[in-house]
Amino acid sequence: MLNEQELLSALRRRDSAAFNQLFDTYSDKVYRLALSQLENEDEAEGVVQDAFLRLFERLDQFEGRSKLSTWLYRVAYNLCQDRLRQRRPLLSLDEDNDDNDLPAPTVLIDWEDLPEQYLSAAEVSAELDRAIATLPPKLKTVFMLREMEGLSTRECAEVVGISVSAAKVRLHRARLLLREQLAAYFAERV
Amino acid sequence: MQEISCEDLLQYLSDYIDENLDEELTAVAKHHLATCHSCSVVLDSTQKTIFLYRQQGKRTIPAKRRERLFDRLQDAFLAGKGETA
Ligand SMILES: [Zn+2]
Repeated sequence: MLNEQELLSALRRRDSAAFNQLFDTYSDKVYRLALSQLENEDEAEGVVQDAFLRLFERLDQFEGRSKLSTWLYRVAYNLCQDRLRQRRPLLSLDEDNDDNDLPAPTVLIDWEDLPEQYLSAAEVSAELDRAIATLPPKLKTVFMLREMEGLSTRECAEVVGISVSAAKVRLHRARLLLREQLAAYFAERV
Repeated sequence: MQEISCEDLLQYLSDYIDENLDEELTAVAKHHLATCHSCSVVLDSTQKTIFLYRQQGKRTIPAKRRERLFDRLQDAFLAGKGETA
């Protein structure tokens, strides 16, 4: 495995092993981000393709000011925003509600009291997917980049093009909203 | 020890989970959590929500799609060979 600098120089030489490493390392990551935004496999594939093509175009100028992963996520995120805008040209994607109050927890059943199997059931996983699908897209992005892909809050902020404190707020809101939905789901069952 | 309200605790919850609070605030939050059942339930269920999400398998590009994409991108990549020399 080449480190990032080595990988970039090998890519500039159009080394085909470097291409393999690039594709293996990043294609699924970019695909997951795009799929979470667009909820369409064809379009998500298109975003992966366009993001990689853009990287190939920029290889010589790529200065490594950000990590390659952050750069690719950022390009992919912007490509997704473009596609979403094309779908619904009149809708503002980023109307700002970061200042809203935090979602107050209302379902306060104690999960410690739940039967053990509740937390491991496939059903819960499906419910979690449903809950994530209902998150506002801008919360969803930060949440998945952070919790699934393991980016730092700073990296999430860089990908989405917002301040670190705004990214923190989005992450916090997303966590609370998901918690609330899962709690409501469990509350119906105990 | 400084007392905080449930609303304040809620504000700090993510920072508490991520261990981003300074020592003093961490102690204040711990103290509140030890004495407030609702907030400790919210903390526990939020941590479990995150845990459940992280446990989910990561989706990958379906095999056929992946193969197609790989071929197209590899062609484009190698076609750029002459340009950078
Ligand atoms: Zn409390």
